[in-house]
Amino acid sequence: MSIVWVHEDAITLNHPVFWTAGPAVQPIFIWDTEEHDRRAYSLKRRVFIYECAHDLDIPIYAGRPCEILPVLAAGETIYTAGTPNLYVLDVVADLRKSHDVTVVDAPQLAHIPANTDTGRFFRFWNRAKKSALTHSSENQIETATAP
Amino acid sequence: MVSLLDSLPPGLAKPCALKRLEKSGRDKVVSRVKDISPGLADSDVIISEIRGGRKAADQCLAHLNPAKYGSTRNHLDGAVTRLSPYIRHGVVNITDVRDTALDISSAKDSEKFIQQLSWREYWQRLYKEFPRNIWQDVEPYKTGFSPDDYQDNLPRDIAEGRTGIASIDGFIDELLTTGYIHNHARLYLAGYVCHWRRIKWQAGAAWFLTHLLDGDPASNNLSWQWVASTFSHKPYYFNLENIAKFSGDTVDTRIETNRPLAGTYEELYARLFPNLEPKK
Ligand SMILES: Cc1cc2nc3c(=O)[nH]c(=O)nc-3n(C[C@H](O)[C@H](O)[C@H](O)COP(=O)(O)OP(=O)(O)OC[C@H]3O[C@@H](n4cnc5c(N)ncnc54)[C@H](O)[C@@H]3O)c2cc1C
Repeated sequence: MSIVWVHEDAITLNHPVFWTAGPAVQPIFIWDTEEHDRRAYSLKRRVFIYECAHDLDIPIYAGRPCEILPVLAAGETIYTAGTPNLYVLDVVADLRKSHDVTVVDAPQLAHIPANTDTGRFFRFWNRAKKSALTHSSENQIETATAP
Repeated sequence: MVSLLDSLPPGLAKPCALKRLEKSGRDKVVSRVKDISPGLADSDVIISEIRGGRKAADQCLAHLNPAKYGSTRNHLDGAVTRLSPYIRHGVVNITDVRDTALDISSAKDSEKFIQQLSWREYWQRLYKEFPRNIWQDVEPYKTGFSPDDYQDNLPRDIAEGRTGIASIDGFIDELLTTGYIHNHARLYLAGYVCHWRRIKWQAGAAWFLTHLLDGDPASNNLSWQWVASTFSHKPYYFNLENIAKFSGDTVDTRIETNRPLAGTYEELYARLFPNLEPKK
């Protein structure tokens, strides 16, 4: 059975990764205490993260994702939310040696041309402003009708 | 959703999920977290009042007032949302937050709020482009100093909120006990660490990431670089008058308890950045 790895950058069941994965999937959260130690997370940070995961009512495992995920997925596709987080990127790269891994990004606030100069925020904002200030429902219509 | 699979390839030990805790009972959550975090120091005992989970995020969203946000957001008691820990951990998505703002207010009244949301997206995009460079200076310092002039480690008096400067110690205390401080307080602390104490932004950023519930390598490290001037045109600094203006009665801003921060911008500039041309 396919697994959705719910990691600390997307502790939610309301993410496009679930629409891509379909209904027959098992979302799980993995508590990797070694990673928390490496990042020197305080107790209050860990409690907050645990509460967010616990709130989803999904199984929580303790250990390393690279060891737990392949066993649970047993050859089936592993899905996860996209993030720039190196820890997640490294786990995904490792899993890809043995599994099909699908990474799905959350929708972005703004749509800007790929070649936009983002060297400073206000250059980005000037290009991003129009779509950022548009409700998702209207943004979608715009994208659908774009040439 | 379906329940966990039972059929595993032979020879592989099936990992066991942790036993589910009752919904209520924060004490149980805390003791569970301690049980599964053997690397935590015994001295680390502080738990924030801020709760994790969607319900708590929805409570913050329910108070969203984009128009009031625009006019008060720089004040420590302004109408900011405190959504950052939930956004940081993806409990809510920024597009949903943006849509909620636009449901409540016009695009014009929501603009300042959505612009602030866009800062997060901006930092995330840069992080995505250069994920391995998040601890490196983007540009040289524009303070008249080189990186070698800055101390590598955060001194204990800062880490523990015992600098002797009342306003700074107050902000640190809030950071350590709640895991959340207002954007302006973050700017004051980062400015103090980088420019008054001449400590590398990396040391301050790592300290924030330990404590902030919204601690995020992109928003945090790049904001520190913006203050330090390694990702901006000039260093960010402030004076006591500025803290007094934006903090109301909530912060001790008496001169006698905050001497190193007192002075005009010109005086402080000359003191903090002696190698630069004097500010006119
Ligand atoms: C030195 C320093 C370190 C920071 N570290 C972090 C961090 O680790 N994580 C983090 O999320 N933010 C960080 N920020 C940005 C900002 O201070 C916080 O996002 C904001 O104060 C959170 O409070 P709020 O939710 O009430 O924000 P609001 O003002 O209500 O804004 C709504 C949301 O917009 C986003 N946002 C607003 N301002 C910014 C900003 N300047 N940069 C990025 N996103 C923004 C946040 O997601 C925030 O929750 C840092 C700023 C500084 C100066």
